[in-house]
Amino acid sequence: MDSVFEELYQKYHHDVFQFLFYMVRNKEHAEDLVQEVYIRVFKSYDRFEGKSSEKTWLFSIARNVAIDFFRKQKGWKEKLLEKFDWSTNQVKDEYPIPEEITVQKEEIKWIYKCLEFCTMDQRAVIILRYLQDLSIAETAKALGWTESKVKTTQHRSLKVLKKQMEMSYEKEAVTSEKVGVER
Amino acid sequence: MKKSEWSDRELEELLMQMPKIKDHRDPRDIYQNLSLNKRKTKTWLLPGLAAVAALLLFFILVPKMNDGTNFSFDTAQEEKSSGNSQAMKAAEKDSTIAMKDQASTPNKSVSETNDKKMELMSAASIKTAVYEDEVGDRTVLTYWIPDSQAQILVPVSIIVPAEKDKSWLTLFVDNMANLKEEEWGLSDYYPLKLSMNIDEKTNSVDVVVPDDHKYGQGSAEETSFIKTLNNDVSSNSTIKKLNFFTNNEKGIEFGNEGRVKNHDIIDVKKHAFFFHFPEGSNLPFLAPSIDAYSDIQSAFADMETNNPTYKLTSSLEHLQPLTDVTVNDKTLFVSFKSIIDMKDDQFTLASFEALLLTAKQFGLEKVVVKDSQLTHLGPFDLTKETKVPVAPNLRDIQ
Repeated sequence: MDSVFEELYQKYHHDVFQFLFYMVRNKEHAEDLVQEVYIRVFKSYDRFEGKSSEKTWLFSIARNVAIDFFRKQKGWKEKLLEKFDWSTNQVKDEYPIPEEITVQKEEIKWIYKCLEFCTMDQRAVIILRYLQDLSIAETAKALGWTESKVKTTQHRSLKVLKKQMEMSYEKEAVTSEKVGVER
Repeated sequence: MKKSEWSDRELEELLMQMPKIKDHRDPRDIYQNLSLNKRKTKTWLLPGLAAVAALLLFFILVPKMNDGTNFSFDTAQEEKSSGNSQAMKAAEKDSTIAMKDQASTPNKSVSETNDKKMELMSAASIKTAVYEDEVGDRTVLTYWIPDSQAQILVPVSIIVPAEKDKSWLTLFVDNMANLKEEEWGLSDYYPLKLSMNIDEKTNSVDVVVPDDHKYGQGSAEETSFIKTLNNDVSSNSTIKKLNFFTNNEKGIEFGNEGRVKNHDIIDVKKHAFFFHFPEGSNLPFLAPSIDAYSDIQSAFADMETNNPTYKLTSSLEHLQPLTDVTVNDKTLFVSFKSIIDMKDDQFTLASFEALLLTAKQFGLEKVVVKDSQLTHLGPFDLTKETKVPVAPNLRDIQ
């Protein structure tokens, strides 16, 4: 094994994987994408200037990989298939929720579901800020943004999540009420 | 902690509690996949190249395979399509050839030739046979050439300047090599690989072939050889006999008939002239029938029919029905009164020439047409009597 790979794996593999997983919400895709991250890293490792930390650099690459992944997904094939496959229209999130999340408490599951309604950028900020525990400055570097943009995006994403959480709460309340009536 | 209102703080806390998702794969596997992936990026190259090569081969081979399997169909189609355009060209060329020859007849006053030219220009169609008034003191030579299928012999005539010291036979032999049989749509048969001399004492021609001659190989070969020589001599002279020699020895060895020492000339008489369209031409040759007829009426009757076996087509298709066919002395009288919608075109003219040539076959010298709708047919004045041609199918060898 390559020493560079070993080092990168040791230090950042799980963080990058986690980031990718929450971005694409599917383990298999995340596994493929993390490899793509490594390939890109190897290609441009010589050009790594050390301006930012290795970690933020890896996250910026991972984000680009995820963006490319979504672009490819929404290619002509996907569009064509969508036209014919009505089932995907009805059930928006076709990927299974991984075990790690299903065993958590209700609110975690909700928030995981609600994350889907955030945009790519909003999701990236949330993951980096809260799951990876990066500072505003680090997040700004990883995303190539200004700090104020990180702040506003963070604010907006929390707003979206709040709204979605309230909606899912209402839905939950209605279903549990119904169950109660039937009983 | 279920509630409908969430503060930012609560949400942030919840998010921080989100479980860590781990990649459970062995780093070795990941690394291996990486190197596989690296190679994978180029794996499309080989199949891609193979596909390109296969496509190339496909495009090269398929037309060839088509050629091979559907040979007759494809080529027939092709010949048909190219034949049409070729036919047009050939017809054009044929008419210009004949025109040139007719127009450039020497030993005539300039005005006469000019008149002739004018006449030709005004009439779009041209005559194909040789007529007495255009020969002058030149020599007409008629060659009997097998058609492209070597089934019939087509008489083709050329006009060459007469040379005092040379007999018709010398001129005939000299010009054999100038014939353009293939250009005319016939088989390449001349020059014959032999020498011929006139034996004036016995009024016969001595035909000498070399030892390695091929005229005796196969019955078709030997029949057409004797028939060609017979017709050639018969058409060009009054000689009655052929004597055959191989090198210095008497006789020629033929596969079927054995050694043939001589042959009595059988004159080509009482045959009907049909149209023969060589492949790729729509200007017909006028070719005599295989069989002879007892009288001219039955010959004319047959000329209205086709004989596809020998590629002989009706020569009276554009000039029928003929009525009141009578012979008086050496003149043929024929009425065109029943011919509806007679046109002054190339085919009608060729039909009329077939009629004239057939009349000649029955020993007649003139043809008189009665009750014709048209006064002129090509260069012919139908109100006057018409002399039969000297020889059929004039072609240019220049």
